Amino acid sequence: MTAPPPALSLQGICKSFGKVQVLHDVDLTLPLGQTLGLVGENGAGKSTLLNILGGNLPINAGTIALGGLDYAPTGPADAERAGVAFIHQELNLFENLSIAENFFLTRFPHRGPRVWGVIDRHETRERTREFLQRVGLAHDPDTVVGELSSGEKQLVEIAKALSVSARVILFDEPTTSLTRHEAARLFDLIAELQAQGQAMIYISHDLDDVLKICDEIAVLRDGHLVRQGARDEWDADLLVQAMVGRKIESLFPSRDLTARSEVVLEVEGLTAPGRFEGVNLSVQAGEIVGMFGLVGAGRSEVLRGIFGLDETTTGRVRVGEGLVAHRTPRRMMERGVALLTEDRKRDGLFAISSVSRNFGIANLGAYARNRLGWISRERQDRAVTRLRDAVQLDSSVRENQMIRTLSGGNQQKVIIGRWLVRNPQLLLLDEPTRGIDVGAKQKIYQLIGEQAAAGSGVLVVSSEIEELIGLCDRIVAMRSGRVVAEYPTRPFDREEILRAAIQG
Amino acid sequence: MVRASLSRALLSDYFILGLAGVYLLGMAPAVPGLLSPLNLANLAEIALPLMVLAMGQTLVLMTGGIDLSTTSNVALCSVIGGMIMSGADEVLAGSALAMPVGVLAMLATGALVGLINGLSVARGGIPAFMVTLIGMLLLSGLAVRLTRSLPISDLPDAFVAISGTAGVALAVVLPVLVVGHLVLSRTVAGAWLQSVGQNAAAARVVGIPVERTVMLAYVACGVCSALAAILLTARLESASPVLGQRMLLDIVAASIIGGTSLFGGRGTIRGAAFGAILVCVVTNSLDLVGLTFAVVMLSKGAVILAAAALDAFRSRLLAKAEGSA
Amino acid sequence: MTLRSFLSTAVLSAGALFMFSGCSPKSDQPTVGVCFETLQTEYWAESFDALRTELESHGFAVIEAISDGDANRQLSQIKNFLVRGVDGIIVAPKDRQSIVPAIKAANDAGVPIVCYNRPPAEGDHQTVTVVADNFALARDTVAYLVEQARQKGGKYRAAILIGDLGDENAVNRREGFNAALAGTEDFIEVVARIPTEWNQEKARAGLVNALQTHPDINFIFTSSDFLLPSISSALQAQNKWHPHGHADHVLLGGLDGDATAYQLILEGYMDATGVQDLYFEAEQSVQALLKLQREEPVEARILDPGFVIHRDNHEEMAGRTWGARVFARNQAQ
Repeated sequence: MTAPPPALSLQGICKSFGKVQVLHDVDLTLPLGQTLGLVGENGAGKSTLLNILGGNLPINAGTIALGGLDYAPTGPADAERAGVAFIHQELNLFENLSIAENFFLTRFPHRGPRVWGVIDRHETRERTREFLQRVGLAHDPDTVVGELSSGEKQLVEIAKALSVSARVILFDEPTTSLTRHEAARLFDLIAELQAQGQAMIYISHDLDDVLKICDEIAVLRDGHLVRQGARDEWDADLLVQAMVGRKIESLFPSRDLTARSEVVLEVEGLTAPGRFEGVNLSVQAGEIVGMFGLVGAGRSEVLRGIFGLDETTTGRVRVGEGLVAHRTPRRMMERGVALLTEDRKRDGLFAISSVSRNFGIANLGAYARNRLGWISRERQDRAVTRLRDAVQLDSSVRENQMIRTLSGGNQQKVIIGRWLVRNPQLLLLDEPTRGIDVGAKQKIYQLIGEQAAAGSGVLVVSSEIEELIGLCDRIVAMRSGRVVAEYPTRPFDREEILRAAIQG
Repeated sequence: MVRASLSRALLSDYFILGLAGVYLLGMAPAVPGLLSPLNLANLAEIALPLMVLAMGQTLVLMTGGIDLSTTSNVALCSVIGGMIMSGADEVLAGSALAMPVGVLAMLATGALVGLINGLSVARGGIPAFMVTLIGMLLLSGLAVRLTRSLPISDLPDAFVAISGTAGVALAVVLPVLVVGHLVLSRTVAGAWLQSVGQNAAAARVVGIPVERTVMLAYVACGVCSALAAILLTARLESASPVLGQRMLLDIVAASIIGGTSLFGGRGTIRGAAFGAILVCVVTNSLDLVGLTFAVVMLSKGAVILAAAALDAFRSRLLAKAEGSA
Repeated sequence: MTLRSFLSTAVLSAGALFMFSGCSPKSDQPTVGVCFETLQTEYWAESFDALRTELESHGFAVIEAISDGDANRQLSQIKNFLVRGVDGIIVAPKDRQSIVPAIKAANDAGVPIVCYNRPPAEGDHQTVTVVADNFALARDTVAYLVEQARQKGGKYRAAILIGDLGDENAVNRREGFNAALAGTEDFIEVVARIPTEWNQEKARAGLVNALQTHPDINFIFTSSDFLLPSISSALQAQNKWHPHGHADHVLLGGLDGDATAYQLILEGYMDATGVQDLYFEAEQSVQALLKLQREEPVEARILDPGFVIHRDNHEEMAGRTWGARVFARNQAQ
């Protein structure tokens, strides 16, 4: 008796966009009932591979077999029909429709002829309820999707995948927009699916998660398969080494911790009703202070309040020597403060502008030749060239390119660069490494370290405790709008900080 | 190589100008007199005001807004100028000051209307569509009320000469367009305007004065309306409370054809000016052929639709050209 | 850059070449451009046909342009006529002021231009205007009504519907009305002067109000027959719509001579109307154009005396009444 064919088998997959080849001869096997983790830096080809499997892209060479049979989908609908379900990173639901409607949009149970028949609402609702139960959601199928949290929406997507009896489920960075709690629920569901023998491919930047849930892990680098091996054959270091192609000594920069005495930022009793209350903080020159907390603890709000983006009712903020009254971003910038916001898509990037423009936009005055505001192209170009070296922007990036075409890591580097060019004495960073691959993360940590070494004070907000532990001199914990604990010296106790953030 | 320069030619602002030129040449055999000096002068008379109006509208469109009141503003400025400069007016009749005071009053009116629009949108937070739609009705009503719906004539010769004398209008409009283009594309203020239009939240984070920038765009649009009013009133030799009332669609079409995005953040003055030229060239050629009004409107709509589709195609080409794999 | 400059050079040089071939050519047949504001009312439609017939009989080809009430457009249309090399222009000005630059443009191009039915504003321009003698016509029409009133005896309360005062014709008609009523104060009292701005709704509303304030109005003059539907509607609402012979017949006079007026005169509801001799005006316009072309002397203003059509003479005058011809055409359909 021959062994059953693998759920998916890819052989010699090649893919090019025009002249650029992004996948070189990739072989991958997803055994039946197993979960395969796929990791790699941005640009390594993971998303491309997933898009090929999901029917969004054709291949240039190679073969794919789904359950032993030839698989060459003509489009996403075709892929779905073949039994491949794609859970996108960007959720693909219609926000204004109900869960049931989203489920059955293309295949409503009906009475009568297909197009003109009446939708059987009862049946629709019952079947939706069934699948919602399978993923552990108790919502009414008529709930409008827009009212659900990110995590719940994701579970709905998974339920939808299950409802079409997917042979393979593809997960693309599923935890990016989930809280820890929601991520935990997702992992429980994945464990259940694994128990039921569901074959899955799981892409994530979070190596710990991948090591936890996947049976096998494959590493891609520059469009080549480095190695596919069983989970036991890997650990975090080995994974990073395979992804990056060299040994990374340490993710975090080494720090000279001789403290400087000048206080760069002093916050007293800062309050914004409904968001945070009575916040006291200080940052010294050359110091990196971390702010940890759960989503909703008020950390981003505090940064925005300090920077003058949002209103505060009471409290004082001192930058350097002086008190800053009536804070506005312009005023704070003049005092040498910079703010990197949490969501670069929402309020960081000028998406259709060039890399050059995005680099220079916070500092245009420096390139203005005269009082009329005429921008000197040479001055700006010179500054941009210096900046791209400083932030180690990928050499393949052209300066007149639209910034939205860059990878997340490169985008973040540009936005950090836009602030660094002003030599700020205080850097406020909100989730500086969100959605960025390991290689770029390391570079950003390096940049932060360099800034601190040069004398800037840094205040970093992050939801990744490991990041703060590796990077910071001091950590502050927030919960429900208040600063609840401070940890002024290394080494940090991970559990203690977590507890402070969660329970108090 | 050819492909690269072809796509660059396609994407450049000059593409629209080239299109207008090709269209003129193509239609010339079918339309006698199309390229005659007389007709080209007529074309300039219509195109220059439209170019100025398209410039103003582009600035506002780039902030993600729109100015529907611009044509009513033209009418109001015309009427106010007429009331001051007309021989029938007691105060300044016949005096050498009549014209300069009248012109200044028109510019001031345009700027004031723009300021009110800008304040309502930027500080008041009212959607631009609403503010300027109401403005359109109010200003038009005001203009009609001021004149009891009769046009005002007997304007100073010096004023009328702005449109009548060859080259004067051009000498006024061309520098305005050039300055506008340069400000938008090469100065800090222009960079701010583009940024505000693309992502106002991000603009605020980097310290750009968002409200002030939006307001200035509307004021500039108001001044452009006044300038166009000067040209159109001089051409008609009378101030009319319904001046320019049918131009709004042409203005927006000119901007869009010129590459301005209705969502904000993208557009050039050069493109808008060339778009205006294309719209005028098409209208003029169809009028000369002697088609009835209805057919002209249909044909013009079809041509503008084609140009807009071409612009959409250009955008996709732009996205592909700039994107990396 | 290369392609762009190539393109622009090509455009410019080709343009220069075409410049010479594109100069205003004259077609073999002489053409006249006729520019009206609208063809929506019978008067204008009939006028246009009359002009076309007259022009074609003299061997001209006619180019038509309708400006839909837009003075700016009218100016552009006339300028386009000049580009197309017409030999003459006949225009019904939208408004007396804004037609001036159009006339000037025609003068500059040496193309004769005639204003039909509406005079332009004073100014430094050359044109011939053919216009009805609205004052005299209104006066004579109202005089007929006065005569009817005198014969019938009794006291009369009069109302006049006034046209758009920006229109010189409307002003003259009002003056004619006043002139005819001079000296009749002993038995005719004017109780309502209704401004209509040449608008049906305003006319109706105004007359309804007047009838409510003065229910005994029995003498009405309208500055234009196109308002007759509003008048009949308002009178019917007050139960005052009766033909001649009925004790409560309201004396009704108008001006223009359209099909409605003609029919109402036939039926007896209307007593008289001043007819603009449309055929005369059209013929005179073309004659003036020909004289201007031949550089013969011609008066700047040609008056159409018109005539009054009423119960007693409508059979003989029907032939010259444009409204009667339209009426007959409508009956035939």
